Amino acid sequence: MKAIVLSLLVVLVAPVLQVAVVNGPALPGGGPDVVLIGVIALAPLLRPRPEARGLPERGTAGGGAGAFLGFAAGLAADIAPPADHTIGRLALVACLAGWVCTRLTADATTGRRAAVAAAVALGATLAGGVLAALLDGTPWGTALAPGALAWTAGLAALVTAALALLPRRRSFGRVRGPRDRSRDPYAPGRRLA
Amino acid sequence: MLLALVSVALIVADTLTPLDPLRAFGSAVFGGLENAASAGVRWAPGQHRVAELEAENARLRAELLAARRVTPSPAPADGYRALPAHVVGFGRDGTVTVDAGSEGGVARDMTVFDGNGLVGRVVRSGPGTATVQLATASGSSIGARLEGSREVGLVTGVPERGLLRLSLLNPAAEVKPGDRVVTLGSRDMRPYVPDVPIGAVVAVEPAPDALTRTALVRPFARFTALDLVTVVLGPLPDAAAPAKDGPEKSGTEKTSTEKSGAEKAKGA
Repeated sequence: MKAIVLSLLVVLVAPVLQVAVVNGPALPGGGPDVVLIGVIALAPLLRPRPEARGLPERGTAGGGAGAFLGFAAGLAADIAPPADHTIGRLALVACLAGWVCTRLTADATTGRRAAVAAAVALGATLAGGVLAALLDGTPWGTALAPGALAWTAGLAALVTAALALLPRRRSFGRVRGPRDRSRDPYAPGRRLA
Repeated sequence: MLLALVSVALIVADTLTPLDPLRAFGSAVFGGLENAASAGVRWAPGQHRVAELEAENARLRAELLAARRVTPSPAPADGYRALPAHVVGFGRDGTVTVDAGSEGGVARDMTVFDGNGLVGRVVRSGPGTATVQLATASGSSIGARLEGSREVGLVTGVPERGLLRLSLLNPAAEVKPGDRVVTLGSRDMRPYVPDVPIGAVVAVEPAPDALTRTALVRPFARFTALDLVTVVLGPLPDAAAPAKDGPEKSGTEKTSTEKSGAEKAKGA
């Protein structure tokens, strides 16, 4: 439930945040890509939990939800004004990024998740830059701005780590209702009580 | 995987034929959100007064622009209708969003300028917002002329450096750093009205061939800190034209405007 709300937030708010806030001040070498960061950070949370769905786990389970989130958010960023590039460019990149990130194992440690997020962010930004140069004739220097790469990869790792440290329902132990999962910082301690 | 294919299909479709309905939808939804965000940031007591002053500011800018004009124009009146707008979003494609749209009368191919010089032209307008292509964008090309010698050329964007490149048609034209560049003006004032200041020449590039003369131009408009801009909606209708002829209001309007245009050209 929380993941769905957050996903809606990413699709609706991230493109606006990108054009109204992030792109405004000239950050050295280009700013971070908020949409991509949101997709990469949220994708691991979208794994269908085996106990939540009565479906037998397939070998290649997961991926669909993350890909869908990526597609929706990327398309939103493609059509939010003042975007003037080929529609579908960001949708493709974010869709693949979400798909890859959701395929992460749910039991991965925070560190590993952050590392994968940074790697995926780096790859997605590079791919987006290459697409920009090929489809819309963006000069290579702007398309592959090192600043944008660094910002996006770094922030993606940070946000992913932060979300991974939030309390999550474990597949073992007592099963708690979704109401129990409050977002106060003492939640992990309360689990012991 | 299916969605990736859909994305690829979208890319192909948009390359072949522009997906305007999608863009219109995006402009309606996200344009509204951007407007709201920007209005929230700008909100302050006395907002109404500020809006009044901005409208007056747009009118005065337009009048100043019309007064600077030295090109006698075929337009029926010597003035512009103008609309103030705020820049609410910055894109990565050399475009910005302004918070005035087709509801305010903004359509594509209108001149946008700020207090210092030319900003760009409107490429797309939604209900409440419009997308403006900056003069520094890689795809923009603007007819221009040197203010002093009236030599005609073309200004294109050099996006990675925030400068513009002026290519003069006359290879023997005299150009030196410090020369001011203004717009040439288009037919029917769309997309560019004449004599909007663009920038000043900072360096003359060595000519690789003897066909054109190129120079780098630093734009007057502050592209790094765009806020309040003015959109030229078009020439003033005849009735609302400011009477500059004083008491002498004889003859048909057409001859009087022609005369004033000729006088202006002489005075410049």
